[in-house]
Amino acid sequence: MISGARLGKLSGLRRLVATAISRDLTTFVIPGPDIARAHGLDLAAAGLQIVASPRHASVLLVVGDIPLALHDAATVIYAQMVRPRALFILGTEIFSSLPDADIMSRLSQDGLIDGVQQLRTAFAEGAFRLDVADFDAPALQIRIEYTCSMHPEIALNEPGSCPKCGMTLIIRETQASTGRAHTKQKNVDVSVDEQMATGNEHNAHHHMSDAAKVEFTCPMHPEVVQDAPGSCPRCGMNLEPRETKTEHTHDHSQMNHDAAVQYTCPMHPEVVQDGPGSCPRCGMNLEPREITESETNEHSGMDHDSTDHSDMDHGDMAFMSMIDVTKNLPRSTDGLPMEWTEAPFGPFFPGLPGGLMLTLTLDGDTVADSKTQPLFENKELLPQVSPDIVNFIQQITRFGPLSPVAFQLLACQALENAAGLEISANVASARIGALEQERIANHLGWLALFAQQTGFNWLQRRAASLQLKFCLADMQQIATLAADIQSLIKRLGKTPLLKSRTVGIGKLASDSNLRGPVARASGVANDVRSTDKNYIALGFEAVSQTQGDAYARLQVRLAEIIHSLKLIQVSGAIERPTPADTGEISATGEASVETPRGMAHLELTLQKGQVIAARLETPSTYHLDLIKPLTEQQALADALVAIGSLDLSPWEVQSREIQT
Amino acid sequence: MTTTIILLLLVFGVYLVAVLEAWISSGRFRLTTPILSGIALLGRESIVPRKPDRIFFEVAPVLLLLSAVLAATVIPLMPGLIITDLATGALFINAALVYVLVAMLMAGWGPDGAYAMVGGWRFLGQLIAYAMLIVMPITAVVMRAESLLTTQIVVSQDGLWNIFYQPLGFVLFFIAAMALAFLPPFDLPTATGELAGGVEAEYSGVRLAVFRLGRLTLIITLASATVVFYLGGWQGPWLPPWAWSGIKILAVTVTMLLAGRLMPRISETDLLAWCWKLGIPLALLNIFLVGILVLVIP
Repeated sequence: MISGARLGKLSGLRRLVATAISRDLTTFVIPGPDIARAHGLDLAAAGLQIVASPRHASVLLVVGDIPLALHDAATVIYAQMVRPRALFILGTEIFSSLPDADIMSRLSQDGLIDGVQQLRTAFAEGAFRLDVADFDAPALQIRIEYTCSMHPEIALNEPGSCPKCGMTLIIRETQASTGRAHTKQKNVDVSVDEQMATGNEHNAHHHMSDAAKVEFTCPMHPEVVQDAPGSCPRCGMNLEPRETKTEHTHDHSQMNHDAAVQYTCPMHPEVVQDGPGSCPRCGMNLEPREITESETNEHSGMDHDSTDHSDMDHGDMAFMSMIDVTKNLPRSTDGLPMEWTEAPFGPFFPGLPGGLMLTLTLDGDTVADSKTQPLFENKELLPQVSPDIVNFIQQITRFGPLSPVAFQLLACQALENAAGLEISANVASARIGALEQERIANHLGWLALFAQQTGFNWLQRRAASLQLKFCLADMQQIATLAADIQSLIKRLGKTPLLKSRTVGIGKLASDSNLRGPVARASGVANDVRSTDKNYIALGFEAVSQTQGDAYARLQVRLAEIIHSLKLIQVSGAIERPTPADTGEISATGEASVETPRGMAHLELTLQKGQVIAARLETPSTYHLDLIKPLTEQQALADALVAIGSLDLSPWEVQSREIQT
Repeated sequence: MTTTIILLLLVFGVYLVAVLEAWISSGRFRLTTPILSGIALLGRESIVPRKPDRIFFEVAPVLLLLSAVLAATVIPLMPGLIITDLATGALFINAALVYVLVAMLMAGWGPDGAYAMVGGWRFLGQLIAYAMLIVMPITAVVMRAESLLTTQIVVSQDGLWNIFYQPLGFVLFFIAAMALAFLPPFDLPTATGELAGGVEAEYSGVRLAVFRLGRLTLIITLASATVVFYLGGWQGPWLPPWAWSGIKILAVTVTMLLAGRLMPRISETDLLAWCWKLGIPLALLNIFLVGILVLVIP
């Protein structure tokens, strides 16, 4: 049994179909396949087939904890999936806005394989059901507001003109739950690219609010008004929705009473019934149609005739004048007026790090603007951080799910610094082994993500499988894997098109705020390791490049992989850092560690063996601000390569003061 | 009868391409994968997005399939095994395939979504450029055969296949065919990591099944066309003619599928620049060279 079953009786042919679906588990992963790999999960080996669009998925796989900021987006993704669909959660609690998990399991490869087994049974037995519940959540409500195409910060409830530039406002839909009056709730379908801004369940009821109703009208001929979408009888343009208030003299409760929802087939309008279901003729899902008294009202209550007419009174003009059509549109740098589209490229976008909340404004295929949001509010994690040292270390590692060892080492070193402990050279060099092992795995994971973004199928599979093997490898296995990794890197040097996709993309001048491989690719020798005596003892040399573009960053990471392999071999041991027993001390300590993304810094204050305050500085914080300058006026594909080449970890973007 | 046989062979070809593609992209060889995926797609809901251009959205997948099947009607698999031996066969292939562009543009516009829209417009530029590289090498092939009949083109390659007679034309046609079938590295309209599926992103259930069927048919049709124009069609020693056609088509398909796996997606700027600045002059040169060859070698 699954909660997202499709309506129908499970018999005969449907049984066959259900079995086929249970063998073809197309999966959408949140926060992303990169996080799944960092947890050591091999999804393909477990029989899950990762897809890029939620429309193509029947399983929503949730890996690990999902921060609050992503809950709405996750809900929308679930709503976009087609039935039959199931929710499969690994290693975390269910969160509020999604339905109960169909399968829950441990966050490990065994747990994953167990879960997939159960999932197959659940699909085979419960893909179709006669009692299907609608899915609805606050995140799926849509509100219509009016905004200026040049000043997106303007959001009015009424149509009109922009207070800043006087342009006519355009309709924009946003999530209703962000709260403002005049919300109009309706449950309809959302396109995939609306995944973050708005969201909706596809075959649920229309919940129209009592005072508002949506009509469709032609942008050129405002006198054309009809209730269903379609094209304009005069010029053939697509009708656009607009909201109309029904007459205010109407008693609202009366309106509500008069409104009725009927379900009809989009292909066979003669099929009308009172409840949802599928069409008896063609089997399509019936769509809701609302019949209200106001339909017969001749739209006397339209409240924005004036703006429409004054601005676009084209009468019976037979052709569309491009000058008129485009006069209010924003202009690109090349002077061509175009309609700009705002599209989400995160937090669950297939070619970018999972959890990166990025919205791009596209001017054709060019990025006109970008917006990012932090994953964590500054204080969100405060109540959870425990003063107890062991728990504190655990929580610090959760800030870096992509590089937990580095963050654990950071916390351990800060504690040792506070306690004034010196660790032995042996332990230090074994820790270096662990840190460098993680660096290699992390860079391989980055390569896999970069390959996925650029459609480089071979590299994607090879790098991902090497990453998974490398995470768990001991010294002996590392020696054999080293040969594979070196041949992969050699092959990359001979790959056609790789250079043309990366050279000159995302160029960064040297800047002291840059961290890690990004800094070293721009000629900034910013590396904690080069001053660490334990590293110097192992023969560490910082890698650097000067061009500062995506190609240089790729080269730096590849060179670091090779150099790290050498460091592991010299150090000869791998040992994950464990906190020393510091006793009940009261002191302050600090430490810096070169994580795979650059230097992270932690300061903490201990009182009687408890952490009372801490401050964490992470490398991705500054890099997030680079997205805007790097993407502006770039072709979409180049902009994405530039963002990808930064190797952002949205999980660690935010320096925070931690109070306990 | 011939029509039925060819259509059945086309279905079988599509199945093989699907198996091969799954094998190449996932590393697992399973004969049942495409069948299961197909049935599963039919069992899933097929959603119409919220504000679609309904006609475009519904027509696009069907049109894609139709244009690929239409182009296949003039492909001879052995003497006598051809649906219609049109007197303008060589041109008809190009004419039928132009509707791929229309279908993709409709699929991009129809769902009213940004990813799909960008994908659709990308393909417009891509195909306007690469349709030239389909038709210009065909011109050179036709010059040698002195006929537009596809069967005559195969016969004209007796003794020396066009791949050796006009290698430049073959290379251009092969690349253009891959671009037309939006196979990697030319998969700009459906790019997974850049557009989350692009024109495919909003299709689900049975409509997605038709769309994918159309794409697979397009691949097999273009591979067959390459065999007819450049690899001597059904000609070959020892084996019966139909077997040669089959083997060659399969070989071309595998090459097309494998090539894109080993490199990143081409950027749109490069795609267009190479076509207009390099491909088309080379195609003209090819016509010129073949013209000389036709005059010199009787």
